Amino acid sequence: MEVTINKQDNKTLVSLNGRIDTSNVEKFQHDIEPLMQGDNPDIVLDCSNLTYTSSQGLRMFLMLQKSVLARSGKMVMTNMRPQVKEVFDITGFSNIITIL
Amino acid sequence: MTKKRFNPIKDKSSEIIEFLMSSPDIPDDDALQFKLRLSIEEAVDNVVRYAYDGGIGWLEVGTNIDGANPVLTIELRDAGIKFNPLDHEDPDISLNAEERQIGGLGIFLCKKMMDSISYRYEDGNNVLTMTKKLN
Repeated sequence: MEVTINKQDNKTLVSLNGRIDTSNVEKFQHDIEPLMQGDNPDIVLDCSNLTYTSSQGLRMFLMLQKSVLARSGKMVMTNMRPQVKEVFDITGFSNIITIL
Repeated sequence: MTKKRFNPIKDKSSEIIEFLMSSPDIPDDDALQFKLRLSIEEAVDNVVRYAYDGGIGWLEVGTNIDGANPVLTIELRDAGIKFNPLDHEDPDISLNAEERQIGGLGIFLCKKMMDSISYRYEDGNNVLTMTKKLN
């Protein structure tokens, strides 16, 4: 899993590349830590190359969403692949995170 | 049945998952493999985290295909702490982000991705069986 973070104006663009599973979730958590602090909480996560997530990844997205909301920001996930989207749908995460 | 016994520690999780996913019983179908991999990962992770409470033990995993209308069966057996993961309540997926608890999604995903999931305690072993109809 590669996480690329780019600041643009008042929001942060994040590109996710690969899979999030038990074997790499700790590194993923470390990689996204910078997104959980700061005065510009708005985040756009490009998921076009996110190929898989287990419940471990969902936990991280929920933590991130809670952090963004606590700072009155907005988090959006874009270009999600259908199989990953199904995981978000089944777990109700599509209702608590904006997916475009 | 293709089966093998592993030491269920975190560093072995990937090896256990890949052993099952490379079984000849697993169909060559990307969409189905996504669901099976997710279910296997969640079930294996459950044993790795909780079965032996950090101690040494074993996890035997296997696959089988049965019947004229084929059904894939994935079985996990361990001799750890008696624990029925199906006893846990499903997460409330109607809650908003602030209310949602972090966790409790793993076995819920198995239930949703597979056709059936069952647990039994047999000869001192936890046995978790998941099935998926093929075709």
